[in-house]
Amino acid sequence: MSIVIDVKDIGVSFRRNRKRNFSIREMLLQQKNTSPKGEFWALRNINFQVNAGEAVGLMGANGQGKSTLLRIIAGVLLPDEGSVTVNGGVAPLIELTGGLKSDLTARDNIGLVAGLHGVSKSELKKRFDSIVEFAEVGDFLDTPVRHFSSGMKVRLGFSIVTSIDEPIILVDEALAVGDAAFKEKCYIRMKDLLNQGKTLFLVSHKERDLKEFCTRGLYLKDGSLAVNGTLTEALNAYQKDSGGLHD
Amino acid sequence: MGKFGAFRILVYRDLQIRYAGTWLGYFWTLLDPLAMSAIYWFVFSYIVGAKSIGEQPYILFLLTGILSWTWFNGAVTDSARSLVIESKMVRSIAIPRYLWVIKSIGAKGIEFVLALPILVVISIIANAEVSAALLFIPLAFVVQFLLLSGIGLILAPLTVLARDTTNILRILLRMMFYLTPIIYGVSDIPERFQTIAYLNPMTGIISMYRAGFWNDPNLVTPIVFSVIISLIIFVTGVIFFKKVERSVLKEV
Repeated sequence: MSIVIDVKDIGVSFRRNRKRNFSIREMLLQQKNTSPKGEFWALRNINFQVNAGEAVGLMGANGQGKSTLLRIIAGVLLPDEGSVTVNGGVAPLIELTGGLKSDLTARDNIGLVAGLHGVSKSELKKRFDSIVEFAEVGDFLDTPVRHFSSGMKVRLGFSIVTSIDEPIILVDEALAVGDAAFKEKCYIRMKDLLNQGKTLFLVSHKERDLKEFCTRGLYLKDGSLAVNGTLTEALNAYQKDSGGLHD
Repeated sequence: MGKFGAFRILVYRDLQIRYAGTWLGYFWTLLDPLAMSAIYWFVFSYIVGAKSIGEQPYILFLLTGILSWTWFNGAVTDSARSLVIESKMVRSIAIPRYLWVIKSIGAKGIEFVLALPILVVISIIANAEVSAALLFIPLAFVVQFLLLSGIGLILAPLTVLARDTTNILRILLRMMFYLTPIIYGVSDIPERFQTIAYLNPMTGIISMYRAGFWNDPNLVTPIVFSVIISLIIFVTGVIFFKKVERSVLKEV
């Protein structure tokens, strides 16, 4: 089987006392403070491989580096140590509505987000109708997205990214979005994509999602990979540490 | 998809957003530099008096400077904030990061090019003479693009790491407007300050835009200065961006 994601000795460090939005005054006049300084490793010595067609669930408590790891695989964060090789294109279900521009219409946004994810114009033409239909925004195609409800936006975002047709799908929690009916549609679409032989890498807390889709499990604990095995092994370890999963 | 494809999409999107929901659309691109030029023309022709600064027709002289400054000002401001404003996209779409910065410069550059027909109209109205030195305009465009890219690649990461970069920038840009030969010409600068003026790459760039309208015997020095300094700033920007990219991605 061919390896599509190869993670070698990944390490990422963050600064411990780093405030967001700090000012130049703080840069120049470094105040003395007593809290621990320096860096901490959010992830370290992470090694694993994912084969084509596998469905891998990544779990761990909050702040254990799950999203960080996913972002490294998606290529939107660079590791400080080690390397990641991803063979094949990636459809990242991360920040689903982040790519939508509120002043532009749904039509323009579809072109924009699909285009940035590498869908060619001729491909988009073929898929445009199905994206619109799936997102259920047909009546609002020429409405600026700022008038959309948050549910409509997330449906649109989900529909675009799951239509990219790349061999690897990365999901950060949002495996299914919107209301109950739309969630069912999302599950069906994810199943479809898996049946087409795509590789799934899913970050989730939800036991239902993990059990439904994944066969392999990775469990992150304190920035290192505690379990790299079957889904059941990873789930058991996670449940033992956290006392049950939330659904 | 090539990098150029993503660049084109982003530039197009910036322009789309700029004109979405506006009535005057494209005319906003013309209105800002025209209004600025009209005011300076009035002040310096009728209040400060004397046709002592710049060249005649003064309105054309002003427009050549103010149009390229409008690009400079808009592109520096937008590119500096680009990584902050696009943070959600930077966090989710894996395209080369410098594209987020360069696209702001490209979008403002297109607005600049679209505003150039004003120069044609005004030079016809004012019956201005032009020479083959108009061919310096494309070179000026390329040099200004390089310069802006360098500045953007330095400022965008700085703005992510320290948000008040934007405030300092606003003050600096206003100062630079008066320190750059826009409402006056290089020849109006006292000789002892001229070398310092050449160190400002926009001096040579604006001289190039003006070369086809007014014969400038001292054109070579500002051009050489602006090309070399723009290249240095561009290379510095590329190296700096590469160096801080990792930390910037953790902060956006």
